[in-house]
Amino acid sequence: MGTDQERPADLLQGTLELLILRTLASGEKHGYEIAEWIHAASADALSVEEGALYPALHRLELRGLLTAEWDVSANNRRAKYYRLTPIGRRRLKEITDSWRRTSTAINRVLEAT
Amino acid sequence: MAEWLTSLRLRVRALLRRRQLEKDLGDELAFHMAMREDALRGGGDAAAHVRTRWRFGNPVSLREDLRELWSLAPRLGSLARNVRFAARTLATRPGFAVTVVLTLGIAIGATTAMFAIVDAALLRPFRFAAEDRLVAIHEGFAQVHIDQLPFGALDFEDLRRLQQSFSAVAAYRNVALEMSGNGRPERISAAKVSPELFGLLGVAPLFGRTFSAEEGRPGVNVAVLSYALWRNQFGGDRSILGRAIHLDRQPYTVVGVMPAGFVFPRRGAQFNGEPADLWVPLAFMPRERLERANGMNNSVIGRLRDGVSLEAARAELGVVGRRIADAYPPVVIRAGFSPALSATPLREEISGRVARPLWMLFGAVGLVLIVACANVANLMLTRAIRRRHEFAVRRALGARRVQLVHLLLGETLLLAFAAGALGVALAYWAVKAAPLVLVRTVPGVQDLAIDYRVLLFTVLVCFATAVFFAIAPVPALDRRDAADTLRDESPRTASQHHVQRAFVVVTVTLACVLLAAAGLFLRSFAALMSTDIGFRPSQVIAASMTLPRTFYTTADSIRSFHAALSSRLSSIPGVKRAAIATDLPLTSYDSRAFTPEGGASTGSALLTTNLSFVAGPYFETLGVTLAAGRYFDSDEHQTIRNVVIVNERLASVSWPGQNPVGKRIKWGPAASPNPWLTVVGVIRNVVDGPVGAVPGVHAYEPFRQFPDFFLNGAPNQFGRDVKALVLTDRSASDIAPLVRQQISELDPELAVESLAPMNQQISDAVAPQRFSSMIVAAFAGVGLLLAVVGLYGLLAFTVGQRQKEIAVRVALGAERGAVITMVVVQGMRLVFWGLLLGMAAAVGAARVASSLTYQSDPLSVAAFAIIPAALIPAALLACAIPAWRAARLDPVLALRAE
Repeated sequence: MGTDQERPADLLQGTLELLILRTLASGEKHGYEIAEWIHAASADALSVEEGALYPALHRLELRGLLTAEWDVSANNRRAKYYRLTPIGRRRLKEITDSWRRTSTAINRVLEAT
Repeated sequence: MAEWLTSLRLRVRALLRRRQLEKDLGDELAFHMAMREDALRGGGDAAAHVRTRWRFGNPVSLREDLRELWSLAPRLGSLARNVRFAARTLATRPGFAVTVVLTLGIAIGATTAMFAIVDAALLRPFRFAAEDRLVAIHEGFAQVHIDQLPFGALDFEDLRRLQQSFSAVAAYRNVALEMSGNGRPERISAAKVSPELFGLLGVAPLFGRTFSAEEGRPGVNVAVLSYALWRNQFGGDRSILGRAIHLDRQPYTVVGVMPAGFVFPRRGAQFNGEPADLWVPLAFMPRERLERANGMNNSVIGRLRDGVSLEAARAELGVVGRRIADAYPPVVIRAGFSPALSATPLREEISGRVARPLWMLFGAVGLVLIVACANVANLMLTRAIRRRHEFAVRRALGARRVQLVHLLLGETLLLAFAAGALGVALAYWAVKAAPLVLVRTVPGVQDLAIDYRVLLFTVLVCFATAVFFAIAPVPALDRRDAADTLRDESPRTASQHHVQRAFVVVTVTLACVLLAAAGLFLRSFAALMSTDIGFRPSQVIAASMTLPRTFYTTADSIRSFHAALSSRLSSIPGVKRAAIATDLPLTSYDSRAFTPEGGASTGSALLTTNLSFVAGPYFETLGVTLAAGRYFDSDEHQTIRNVVIVNERLASVSWPGQNPVGKRIKWGPAASPNPWLTVVGVIRNVVDGPVGAVPGVHAYEPFRQFPDFFLNGAPNQFGRDVKALVLTDRSASDIAPLVRQQISELDPELAVESLAPMNQQISDAVAPQRFSSMIVAAFAGVGLLLAVVGLYGLLAFTVGQRQKEIAVRVALGAERGAVITMVVVQGMRLVFWGLLLGMAAAVGAARVASSLTYQSDPLSVAAFAIIPAALIPAALLACAIPAWRAARLDPVLALRAE
């Protein structure tokens, strides 16, 4: 997490949305958990900045893809937990499919001789 | 769509629970940081707290971003906050706010008022259906240099029969009708219109009906009322339909009332441009249909058929004109009266003549607004420089440039709209005062108002100025010198100096242009006022009447009215002379073609002259100077002697270099059966059109020679116009009631149209010129004042900023005189550049303005001398005050004031 680490890959516009939705597919989480989960799941390759994460979360909430509820966390602090809505779940499926198609296509191009 | 609804619901909820949202945002970020810190500490990081903060960035700014996301209208939310903040900031320095609001308010007020006039005269629709398809159609006689005239009855009937390009054509003319039986008899402005006019304009009555096609014949007495007349005279009573009203002492049945806002004819047209209070059907009398090239007083309007272009219609009118000419008697054609038809879009016919002057005045007020804006921009810059410390702190705390602009925008919006409110109040007052002067010259001004269109314009102006002022100081807020500023005492960057100086130069330049325009207008107005009008208007009072045809049916009845009125007026104590004429100087005349005996040959074209008929000592009453011969004697007023008095122009046109007395002229061509009239006297030219225009050719006959034929119920109103003149040694206010009393004793039902001293009629005639001169002079005054105040402001501010430097100079032995010189030179250098640019720009502006003013050479030295003459003393004064202050500076105090 220090500045001396290798610079994580820049998150493409819209990709953060996909990552957040995917993270929440396995159940409700608060903001810190989401950041950590992405970091761990990407084998430390991706690091989400707070300055990008929270605006993205709130935007998704305002669009109705997530709902949020305040609850008490494991260590007894007040935390805001985010959960996918049915619309969010549908949207996750759509953009996952579209992402797969795109990345397959790009891979094909890269491997073409 | 669902997303949009969800977000609206969430945002509204957030708005209602603002405190909760605020807490949630804070808690969420705090929780995140706490978790991170725990994790780091767990990993053995001693500096966990600092590292978390470092990594997280600025939580305040992030919270701000999030709050913005949740606000109902994201941009406006922060703007509203900024406006609230701005109000508090401005309240701490009310002097600044008041200066800005006053400066801008006056400029916006003037711009708004001017726009209201431009809008009323040039932009606002007429409220006729598809008005761009309406055209005014004129006749003209090119050979006798008459471009445009209304139609004669027969020619109009031919046009209506022959034309294909228009779905309808209609004729109309203004008449003054006497409305009686409803209290004091009153002359009202009415119009006789072809029955198809209302359909052609596409305007339906408010209730009742308009005229049917069969009503366009003589003897049908029906009338349609205007909304205003219906309201004011008949109390807005709907039962007026079917009732009779008395017009020229005849009963007319009211059949309809037009809606409010229907104005026809429109002021501004060359002929028949008097808005009517009432309309009656136009029916041509048998006498009107006797002669061609006569009784030409029917204005014609047409609606282009769908798909027919104006050019096509003009081409067709050319053909129709030739067919009408074929019907003219050869003798008339030989006299030069061969008609040609022309078409002008209605908008151009009505507004064309005032468009240029109005746009020019609008341009002038635009310059005033720019000068005011440049001044305010300088104030803003000065203020921004004073607040650099505050802005530097804000930037250091992470405020982005755009946020600072928003902050400034909140302030400038507040100022601009406060100024806008002041401006609208001023404009409201101005347009309430303006119509008196304007109504007779500028079309549409009778319903001048600050309406939603004008307000919209003002709002746009306010927004534009606010954005401009918010952006102007931005260069002063650059981050590069934020660190310097925080350390304080950084020297001002050169670029700010340049911007402020440039603004001062711009204001001086524009003030020069305004001064040049004012110089031209005032000089031309002075020239106008000093022109020789050819008579002595002081102590002369004129009354106008029209004898109704239905009551004064014969020539004898008219002549005996003249005689009775003359003797009654002469008997008023204090009246030295009284006379009667068909018209007055400055007003319209009958115009005739004539042949001078043995005169200069003019080829095929006939000469034309204005013609007036006079009874009694007309020239003596008006104080017209006799150049040769004599006035009419009493015998010539009693018996037809075939005599005429001509003006010097007629004499010089007809018999250049010869003695005109004893020569003869004849109406029409030499072959016509009219009698020869002998010239008994020549008078000095009397102004007979607009004041300042070259007086026309003019002939005067005794009223006794007015042909009985025309007075015996002829359609021509000319002989029924009675202008009574009295010369008195008492004051007008004493005599006027006595004149009115004598008229009313003679004919109790006769309405007096106007009763006013000739002096006032002249001053009314030059009212438009006086108005534009005053306006331009006022604009120039405001422009000059603003430029000088701006210069003063800049110098005062610089002296303040350079206090320490000046103190050091003085301490080191600089003379006070040298300090004064330094400041004055600094200021006057800007004035010099402004003056130089301004003179160059003024030369260009003068060329535009001179085409609109009377007898002025655009590059006349006198008009230009006003610029430095007004500017330099004012500028010196503006420099002197700060210079004197700088010189008085106590070096010890100034250096200690750290």
